[in-house]
Amino acid sequence: MAGAKTWARTKSPWVLHFNSGACNGCDIELLALLTPKYDVERFGIKLEPSPRHADVLLVTGCVTQQCSERLKRVYDQMPQPKFVVAIGACACSGGVFEGNYSVVGGVDKVIPVTAYIPGCPPRPEAMIDGIIKLLNAINPPKKQKQIQAPRAKHTTAEVKQDVKL
Amino acid sequence: MIPMIDFLLIFRILVFPGFTFIFFLALFCEWIERKLEARIQNRVGPMVAGPSGILQPLADIIKLMTKEDIEPRDTKKWVFRLAPLTAFAIMVFAMCFLPIDGASVLSSGTAIASSGFNGDLIIILVFATIANFLLFLAGWASSNPYGTISSARVLTQFLGYDIPLFILALTPAFIAGSLSIGAIAAGFPYILLAPWAFVLFLITMQAELEKGPFDVPHSESELVGGLETEYTGAKLAFLHLTRDVQLVFGSALVVTLFLGGPSGPVFFGLDWLFYTLWFVLKLLIVVAISAYITNVFARLRIDQVLTGNWKILLPASLLSLMLTVVLAIWVYHPFGIGV
Repeated sequence: MAGAKTWARTKSPWVLHFNSGACNGCDIELLALLTPKYDVERFGIKLEPSPRHADVLLVTGCVTQQCSERLKRVYDQMPQPKFVVAIGACACSGGVFEGNYSVVGGVDKVIPVTAYIPGCPPRPEAMIDGIIKLLNAINPPKKQKQIQAPRAKHTTAEVKQDVKL
Repeated sequence: MIPMIDFLLIFRILVFPGFTFIFFLALFCEWIERKLEARIQNRVGPMVAGPSGILQPLADIIKLMTKEDIEPRDTKKWVFRLAPLTAFAIMVFAMCFLPIDGASVLSSGTAIASSGFNGDLIIILVFATIANFLLFLAGWASSNPYGTISSARVLTQFLGYDIPLFILALTPAFIAGSLSIGAIAAGFPYILLAPWAFVLFLITMQAELEKGPFDVPHSESELVGGLETEYTGAKLAFLHLTRDVQLVFGSALVVTLFLGGPSGPVFFGLDWLFYTLWFVLKLLIVVAISAYITNVFARLRIDQVLTGNWKILLPASLLSLMLTVVLAIWVYHPFGIGV
């Protein structure tokens, strides 16, 4: 039963996209994921319109002071278990906006982040790699055949190892 | 005297062709639809969950069932909890009247023509309406602006399209001379005798199921998640299942009324197996046509949907009924066609 639960969770991660003050570079690359060329529906990933339906929150942008409250609220509206992926250099650490008076700088200062995908902007392949690494961290590969992400040239995605359901 | 327990009937209701079969058929049809949609958009669709992603809808449902269930403070608690579940139950109950394996689920294995009773066609149409109304209540009770607007649109749309649907469903009933689903399904494939009604019925069914180009109640670009916006966990799973079963029900109704239901050649004396096979094959054809219409046409505005309903579809369905009555009385019945 627990196996079926984990299997279902890794096979159907529905994502919600949140822009916390990004320059739209990451967002365009993120939307490219859903287009026919990359087609993440292969992995069961669907873009959901409402935080209530989502399992994974994809955050882009450097988190402005105004946005941090909203980001927190959207995160709170998501049902457990939930994961956060920070996409782009700004979301990971604040990027070039680090130290700015109107910027919190980094998603992990507001909500807990599970996976970081750096890049300015990261390629769609890197994002797929990051999400697949997240899924493999939920369901360790030794139990099950690892999902093969398509070969990508510039992937530096890092995932925290202590992911719990 | 101890009343006899009809184990065959219990098996038919719970396993085949009842609840379990309908459940998996609905998930299978969703998979077919998603794959077709992906191919039309030059994608491949779900690939990872099971062979060619066939288990994707099941994975979605299991995942939703095991997620946290949030009830926002302002919701009308009881309606919010019960509406998705009741809508699903009523849709499955409506499916049970259709002759999936040659007889309706609720009869314990008789011939097509004599299963069911006179008037059950009206009853299942009423069930479909009640399920739609429960979906409206589900959105209304979630006290979310998007859910409320979506609910209002559901109500506006189904109140309009129910009338043409009823009128068009009577077309095969007139030719068959009976309001019993069994008698209609056992007769002729009425698509050959009333092709105009078949085309109109398909269009009306698209609108009744809120599929494109009539999917204004859950247009994502305007209404976020539509009436499902506030739903999480198991309740959302039941809303999804209701949509899937509605799709199967609509297609099954088209099959039963116009494509001869489960009728087809039967070999080796395995009536139920071949009847189910023909029924599901015809059902998949209708699902494919429906998915094609959904993906090829752009979404209409709500005013265009209503204009199309009251100014075009309602008069057209009335004309269709008149034509059918004339043909049935003066052409088909005197020559013994389709009775």
